[in-house]
Amino acid sequence: MKSKLLVIAAVFAGGAAGTLLRYVINLQTITLLFPLGTIIENLAGSLLLGFLTGWVLVKMVPSFVKEGLGVGFCGGFTTMSTLAADTVFLTEGGSLYMAGLYLIISLTGGVTLAIAGMALGQHAAHKKREAGEGA
Amino acid sequence: MNVFLVALGGGAGAVGRYLLGLWIKDRMPQKKIPTAMLFVNLTGSLGLGLFFGFIYNEVPILAYNDPLFLLVGIGFFGAFTTFSTFSIETSALLQKKKWPEAALYTALTIGGSIAVFLTGMTLMTLF
Repeated sequence: MKSKLLVIAAVFAGGAAGTLLRYVINLQTITLLFPLGTIIENLAGSLLLGFLTGWVLVKMVPSFVKEGLGVGFCGGFTTMSTLAADTVFLTEGGSLYMAGLYLIISLTGGVTLAIAGMALGQHAAHKKREAGEGA
Repeated sequence: MNVFLVALGGGAGAVGRYLLGLWIKDRMPQKKIPTAMLFVNLTGSLGLGLFFGFIYNEVPILAYNDPLFLLVGIGFFGAFTTFSTFSIETSALLQKKKWPEAALYTALTIGGSIAVFLTGMTLMTLF
């Protein structure tokens, strides 16, 4: 019970931090008519969650750290509801081409970076483990 | 103040996603596609559509000084839904060479989120 509360607290803290960072990036990109902010957040978050997922395949991480960073931070930093809203906004602006481009960049970029992040995370964790064993 | 509202909404949205995800995983088999995050993303996108339609009658773009937009739109629904988990789950299906499942999961998540968002928003502009 205590450990479940710790995980929930970590998810809350991570989610708050990730959402704040998303808000700050949105403020920097708000003047653009293309939702570049959401693209940056969704792609960077996919890379980061990929790295974390790869890392925990190799090295043990306490569950509150794993869920706090993964479910909390990466989950809160990235967003699907704003992606839906952005797409509707672009389409209503008469720009089907831009809406299509937005979805293609988000999708292919997100999946590619998630795969790359996983490979990087596993590699980094192996290196760290070897360094630990050598010591 | 704005920063506090964003953080509060975001923290609550992330915890809501975590708990709803666990609740669904306990009740629904995640055999072919990851239905838990699909359901969470659809629920959150519908919620954002209802919220936007009810309060703004449109997709608000310049509402960054509106406390309600920051708490509910950017904060809660923004964090309740997620893209990073979707990317990981799709890439996992691709790496297992489950092409039809990956295509289905992508189409249902992306197409579904847009459809329910638009439905929710349109419905609420009637009121």
